[in-house]
Amino acid sequence: MQPWATLVGVITLLLAAPDVLAVKSHDFKTCSQAGFCRRGRALSARAAEAGTKWKSPYSVDSSSISISSNNAVFTASVKSSIYPEIHFGLELRVHEDGVVRVRMDEVNGLRKRYDEAASWALIAEPKISQDITWTTGKKDIRAKYGNNEVVVAFEPLTVSLLRGGKPQVVLNGRGLLHMEHFRSKKVEETKTEEAAPQAEEGVEDQVAADQIVLKTEEINPAAWFVGDKEDDWWEERFSTWTDSKPKGPESLSIDISFPSHGTIYGIPQHATKLALPTTAGDSPFFTDPYRLYNADVFEYLASSPMSLYGSIPILHAHSTDSTVGIFHAVGSETWIDVSHASEKSTETHWISESGILDLFLMPGPTPADIFAQYSALTGTPVLPPHWSLGYHQCRWNYVSTDDVRTVQRRFDEEDMPVDVFWLDIEYADEHKYFMWDDKNFPDPVEMTNDVAANARKMVVIVDPHLKRTSNYPAYQEASDRKLLVMPASGEGEFEGWCWSGSSSWIDFFNPNAWDWWKSLFKTTALKSGWSWTLSTTDIHIWNDMNEPSVFNGPEISMPRDNVHHGGWEHRDIHNINGMLFSNLTSKAVQERTDPPQRPFVLTRSFFAGSQRFGAMWTGDNLGTWEHMAVGISMVLSNGIAGMSFAGSDVGGFFGNPEPDMLVRWYQVGIFNPFFRAHAHIDTKRREPFLLEQPYKGIIKDILRLRYTMLPIWYTAFRETSVTGVPVLRPHYVMFPKDPKGFALDDQYFIGNSGLLVKPITSKGTIETTVYLPEDEVYYDYFSHHVYRGAAKGKDITVKAELDQVPVFVRGGSIVPTRERPRRSSPLMKLDPFTLRVSLSKAGSARGDLYLDDGVTYSHEKGQFVWREFTAQTAKKTVRITTRDLGVEKKAEAVDGVALASYNPSNVFAETIKEVRVEKIVVEGLSGKPSSVKTEGGEELVWEFAAGVAANGKGEGVASVLTIKDPRVLIVKDWAVIIQL
Amino acid sequence: MLLWFLALPLPALASVDKTLGVSPALLSKYSAPKSGSWKCLDGSKEIPWDFVNDDSCDCPDGSDEPGTSACPNSTFYCQNAGHIGATIPSSRVNDGLCEPECCDGSDERPGVCRNACKEIGEEYRKKRDAERKIQKTGAKIRSSYIAFAHKEKKRLEALVESSAAEIAVREKEVARLRVIAERTESLSAAALEHKQQSRERPLYTSLMSHASALKALQREHKKHLEREQQLGDILDTLRKGYNPNYQDMAVLEAVRGWEYLAGLPHIGVEEDAQKAADLSVSDEEAGIAETGDEKKDDEVAETDEEEWTAEDLKTGLDELLNTDYVSLLMAHDEHVKTPPPSTLFNLRGYLPDSLVPQYEEMRETLLSWLGVFGIAGTDVEKSSDSSKARTALSDAESALNKVISDKKNAEEDLGEIFDVQGFGAEGEWKKLDGQCLQLDSGDYIYEVCLFDEARQKPGPGKGGQTFSLGKFSSWNPSPDVKPGEPAYYEKQVYDRGTRCWNGPERSVILVLKCGTENAIHTVAELEKCEYQFTGTSPALCLPLDAKDSVREEL
Repeated sequence: MQPWATLVGVITLLLAAPDVLAVKSHDFKTCSQAGFCRRGRALSARAAEAGTKWKSPYSVDSSSISISSNNAVFTASVKSSIYPEIHFGLELRVHEDGVVRVRMDEVNGLRKRYDEAASWALIAEPKISQDITWTTGKKDIRAKYGNNEVVVAFEPLTVSLLRGGKPQVVLNGRGLLHMEHFRSKKVEETKTEEAAPQAEEGVEDQVAADQIVLKTEEINPAAWFVGDKEDDWWEERFSTWTDSKPKGPESLSIDISFPSHGTIYGIPQHATKLALPTTAGDSPFFTDPYRLYNADVFEYLASSPMSLYGSIPILHAHSTDSTVGIFHAVGSETWIDVSHASEKSTETHWISESGILDLFLMPGPTPADIFAQYSALTGTPVLPPHWSLGYHQCRWNYVSTDDVRTVQRRFDEEDMPVDVFWLDIEYADEHKYFMWDDKNFPDPVEMTNDVAANARKMVVIVDPHLKRTSNYPAYQEASDRKLLVMPASGEGEFEGWCWSGSSSWIDFFNPNAWDWWKSLFKTTALKSGWSWTLSTTDIHIWNDMNEPSVFNGPEISMPRDNVHHGGWEHRDIHNINGMLFSNLTSKAVQERTDPPQRPFVLTRSFFAGSQRFGAMWTGDNLGTWEHMAVGISMVLSNGIAGMSFAGSDVGGFFGNPEPDMLVRWYQVGIFNPFFRAHAHIDTKRREPFLLEQPYKGIIKDILRLRYTMLPIWYTAFRETSVTGVPVLRPHYVMFPKDPKGFALDDQYFIGNSGLLVKPITSKGTIETTVYLPEDEVYYDYFSHHVYRGAAKGKDITVKAELDQVPVFVRGGSIVPTRERPRRSSPLMKLDPFTLRVSLSKAGSARGDLYLDDGVTYSHEKGQFVWREFTAQTAKKTVRITTRDLGVEKKAEAVDGVALASYNPSNVFAETIKEVRVEKIVVEGLSGKPSSVKTEGGEELVWEFAAGVAANGKGEGVASVLTIKDPRVLIVKDWAVIIQL
Repeated sequence: MLLWFLALPLPALASVDKTLGVSPALLSKYSAPKSGSWKCLDGSKEIPWDFVNDDSCDCPDGSDEPGTSACPNSTFYCQNAGHIGATIPSSRVNDGLCEPECCDGSDERPGVCRNACKEIGEEYRKKRDAERKIQKTGAKIRSSYIAFAHKEKKRLEALVESSAAEIAVREKEVARLRVIAERTESLSAAALEHKQQSRERPLYTSLMSHASALKALQREHKKHLEREQQLGDILDTLRKGYNPNYQDMAVLEAVRGWEYLAGLPHIGVEEDAQKAADLSVSDEEAGIAETGDEKKDDEVAETDEEEWTAEDLKTGLDELLNTDYVSLLMAHDEHVKTPPPSTLFNLRGYLPDSLVPQYEEMRETLLSWLGVFGIAGTDVEKSSDSSKARTALSDAESALNKVISDKKNAEEDLGEIFDVQGFGAEGEWKKLDGQCLQLDSGDYIYEVCLFDEARQKPGPGKGGQTFSLGKFSSWNPSPDVKPGEPAYYEKQVYDRGTRCWNGPERSVILVLKCGTENAIHTVAELEKCEYQFTGTSPALCLPLDAKDSVREEL
C-alpha cells in the first residue's frame, strides 16, 4: 500500500461509521468566528433594535457632485457623520445596456483598498451610455433612461434603481452601509479614549481594552453605529492560526434590498436549493449567512450555507413582474444574509472582509435580459470542444498505463461509449505534476496515442501546489523567477502542505507567471526552459485544489496575510485566486498548437468570469441520495451565475453506491452539461462495465442516450456561448411569470430544445410528479405518451421505474438526434440525423441544430452549419422545412464575432455535405397522412401508428408518423410535405 | 487516422452489396427473393428486398442492415480473405476508423481503409506460431506435472495402505494398555481421595492461583506491549506520510499528539520533511526508547520500594514463573523436619489436580534417587504404577491418532489431486502446491506461494513489515466460469490477508496464462489493498489438439 493510501485511510477510519461521515465543521469559520462578519451582523442587530430611529451616518456632500461631460458618470464625496475626518468617494455610471455601476472607495486614506477585483472578472471596460441626463435636486440626484431610473438620495445616502417608478434595487435602504476606514492602531486608541491620558507603551493594549470596556458607552459617540469595542480589529485567531491583519479593520457592509421581489437565486456555490432559503429574519432556514470564501470542504453537507470551492457574487431577484440582478465585484471573503420582510420583498446584507464597493445593478427586466447584461460584463460560457460533451471516465486513480488501456478495452468490449479517460494525482511522481511516475506510467505518450486511436482524449490533473524540491523543474523555475506567493513578511516563498508535501504556490496575479506557465504545457522541447514533452495535444487538463487548498493552513487554505504580486494580501484576492490558475491553464492548453485548438480545463475553484475558460464540477460530493439531489440544484445555480459547463461527480466521490443508486446517478449525469463519473481511492471500482445485469444494460442505454443527444447539447452550448442564457434552464428562466415554477429545482429544460427533464434522486422510486407550466402538450420522450398541461400549471404523475428517466418534449419542438451508437463522439461526425417533430397544439414546431468541427476556432471564421427546422400546419398540410440560420443570423451565430458574411459551402459544411436526415418522426398528427413527399419529389416510405393528436383533447400515446430515409441533406434547404 | 474527407457521394451508399457484412453461415438467407419481399431474420417483419443494406434500419432485430451501421446492436462480418474472418459490432461500421479486426477494410466505405490482410495475417501467424511454441513447450512441462501427480497419487495410496495396517496394530496396543491402566487406577483411587482432604492444601492452592494470575498478567502485558508497538508503527507511518491531514485537523492533532508523546520533533517544521523523516528514523527510535526510560524513572519514583521495577518485570518475571513449586514444596517439607517417609507421598494431597501429573513425574525421579541413596523405601514404585500405566496408554493413543490423521490427510490429498476444484482434473497443479513465485518491484517484493499464501515483503534494503496478502481461497469464482474449464484455472483468489488497518483485508487475484515458466510478471493495486498479480504457468499450457495442428499445417 502506498503512503497516500495510508494517509487517506486515516480519514476513512475516523469517518468509518456512516453517522460521522460528514464535514469537519470546526475546520471552517461560522460568521461568529470571523471578526468582520460578527461586526457586520452586530451592526445589523443594532439597526434592527433601533428600528425607525436608525439612520445611516453616510451622506452625499451635494456640493461635491460632479457630472462627466457625457453625463453618464457622476461622482461625489461621501461623508460619515461618525468619522467626519474620513472621506469617501462615490461614483455612478450607467452602461449602454442600462446596467448601473456603483463604486465607493475611501479617498486619501492611510492605505488603498483593493480595487482590482472587477479587472479580473470583466471582459472589458463596459461601454458608458451616451444618453443619460442626471438631474440634481435638493435631496437627490436622478437619471431616467427608458423605463428605468436611478436615484441617489443625499442624506442618508441611498441608491435606488426603479422601473416604472417602482423600486427594484435599493442600496443602504436599511442603513447598513459601512466602510471601515483605514486607521493606525495608536490613532484609533487616542480617539476612543479622548478623556484618558495616553497609555504607556507595553501595557497599552491591556489598558486600552479595559478602558474601552469601561468608558466607550459613555464617551464613544460612534458606538451606536460601530459598537463599543475593537472586536478583532488588529489580530484574529482561529483554531491554531493567527491572522496578523497588518491593515487592521477594512471590512465593507452594505444592505441591498429588492422591495418588489420575493425570490432570489444565485451567489453560488452552496449546497442548497436553487431559490435561496433565508438566513436572517424570523425563523430563518439557515442560521449563518451564505458564505463566499473558496474552500476545500471535506465531505461537505448536502444542505448548508457554508462556502464551497467557488464563488460568484451574483444574485437574481425575481418576481412575476420583473427580474433584476446585482453583481458585486469583490474578491475577499463575503457573507450574505437573506431575509424577507414580506413574501414579496427580499433584503440582503453583504459583509466583505476588504475591497471597495463595486456593484453592478442589472435592471433586467427578464431573466434573459439579466443573462445578457451579466454576459456583457463577465463574458459568456465558452463553446467547449465537442468531445468534452461526451462521457468522462475518471477515478482516483487509474494506476498505470496498462490500467488505462484495460479500462478502454473493457468499454469497447461492452460497446459502451466514452470520450475521455482521466488521471488523478497518482500518475505524478511524488505528486510533482507533469512528472510521470515512470514505474507505473512508463509509456504515457504511447498510452495517450492508444486512447487517441479511438478518437478519444485524456485529461490529466495539474494542481497549483508545487513540491518544493530542486529536482522539480516547475517549482525550480518558478522559484528562480520569483513567481511564488509570499508569506506575510512579503519576502521569500510561502510554504504549505498539500498532496506533494512541502509545497509552494504560483502567484498568477504576477503577469510574469503567465507566459512561463503557458510554456510548461508545450509538447515540444523549448530553449527557454522545461516543457512537457512527455505529453501530446490529446491531453487536456484538470485543475483541482485551486481554492487554494493548503492542508495545514487556516480553513485548509492560505493564510490571509500572505502577500501576492502588487503587495496585496491574500485576503483581498482569495476568491479570485482559483480562477486565474485555471484560466491561465486554459490559455496554455489552447496555445499548445498553432493555430490554437479549443482547450478543455476542468476547475474546482471559480469566480465571476471563469465561464469563459472551461468547466467546473461540484467537487467532492458523497455517494448519497441527498448529494445526488442537491447536485442538480447546484448545477442549476452555477448555470444561472454563468458557469453553464457544470456537473456533479456521477456515483458520488466518497462511498460505494449500490447499483440502483449508480443507475440513477448516471441518469442525473447524462442531463448535466458536464458528464463525468469519478470515485475516491478508497472506493470499489464501479466503471459501468463492472456492474451485473440488469444494471449494466441500463447504464449502457443511458450512456448511449447521452450520445444520441449530443447535437442537442452542442446546439444549446452555441446559444449559451452567444446569449449567456444557461444550458440548463430552470422554470423561472423559461416561464418567469409562473410563480409555481419559482422554487422548482428538480426539473429543468435543456437549452431551447424543448426537452424537459426530471431525474429521479430517491431510492425505490417507481413514479414521480412532473410539473407542466403551460397549456401545451408534452410528449414522453420514450413512449410518445401525450400529457396536457394547463395555463395555471399542472402536475402530472408519470412512471419512473429504475430504467426510466422522465424526459419530455415540449409540444412545438423539433429535436435533432444521432441515433447510431459509436465508441466515442468524434466517430459520429458523419452519421445521419433523426429529426423528431413534436407538434404543438397549434400544429407547429421548431428547432435548430448547430455543428462545427468541434475542436478548432474556424467557426469564428464562419466555418459552421446552423440550421433551423420548422413545421407548420395549414389546412390539411403539414410542411416541415429547414433554413440556413448561418445566412439569416450570421451576426449572432458565433460568440464575440459579428460575421459580416457567411458561406453555406464553407470548408466545414463541405466535410459533412453528404450527411443526411435518415429518419423523421412526427408525433401528434391529427390523422393518417394520405401522402408524404419531399417537395417536388416522390412519395416517401413511411409508417403511421394512430394515436392521440396534439390538437385533440385526450391523453395517451400520440399518433406517430415515421418517415424512412427522406434522402434530404442536413446542410441543404428542403421541405417534406405531409398531406393529411 | 480519421478520414472524414473521403466520404463518397450519396448514391454510392445505395449500391452497397446486399450481402456485405453477412457471415458465411447466414449467406443463404440474403438472396433476392422472387416476391421482392424479404423477411427479417426474426420473422417479425416483411420488407422490400431493396431495404436490405440501404443504410436505414427497418427490422427490429437489425437483420436488414448487416453491412451498415444503421441498426444498433447488430454485427458486421468481414471476410478478411488471406486471414481469418471476423465479426465486429455494427457500431464500428463506417465510423471512419479502420478496425484492426477487419484487415480487408470492408468495415469502412470503399477507399477509406486499405486491405492489410496479407501483413496482418502474416503477423498473426507469426504471433500464433510463437504462442504455439510456448504452448508446446509448456504442455511438455505440464505433462511432467501430471506424471508427478500420478506418482504422488501412488505414494499417497501406499501411505494410506501402510497407515491402515499400522492403525490396526496400534489399536490393539491401546486396548491392551487401557485394561492395565484401569486396573491399577482403581487400586490407588481410595488413597488419593484421603490425601486430598489434607488441611494444608489451601496454602498451595493459593500459591498456584497466584502463579497462574501472574502468568495471565504477563501474557496480557506482552499483548499490550505489542499493541503499543503496533500503534507506534501506525502513527509513524501516518507521521511520515504526512500530507498533514488531507483537510482533517483530527489527523493533524493525532500526528502532533504522537510527536509530543514520543518526543519527536514536529515533522512539518523541517525544510524538506520527507528527507528529514527518513533521516530521523533512527533518531525516532532512540527518542522512543528515551522517553520510555523517562517514564520508567517516573514510575520508579512513585512506586513502593517493595514493588518491582519495569526492568525487574522484564527479566525477573520469567524466572519467577519458572519456579518449580513442587521442589519448593519438597524443600518446605524438608525444612519443617517432619519427615516420616510417607510425607513425600502425602504431598500429592496438597497439590491442585492440575499439578498432579507434573508432580508425579518429578516424584518418581526424586524417589528413585532417594531410593538409590537408601533414604526412601522401594515400595514407592508400587504407588506410581497407576500413573505409569496411564502414561503408557496416552502415549499409545497419541501415536495411534497421529497415524489416523496421517492417513486422513493422505486421503484428502488423494481426493484433491484429481479434483477439478483442487489440483485440476489431471492433477497438473499438484506439482506447484506450495511453490513460491516472487516479483521485486523495488519498494516491495511480492510473493505468492501457490495454494498457500501471498505476501508483500519489504524490498531489498528497505525496512518494514511483511504482510499477508491472503490465503488461497479458490479458483476463478466467476459464476460465468464452470469448474474444469480452462478459464477456471486462469484465476486464483487469495483472501483474508492482513487487514489494512484503515481498510479491507488484503486480497489478491492471481491471473495466469500459459507460459513456460512459473512466474509473476505484474502486480497492481487496482483498489486499495486489493491486488492483481499476473503471471504464467506451464500448468495452463494445454496440449495442442489435433484440430489446431491441422490448421497449423494450412
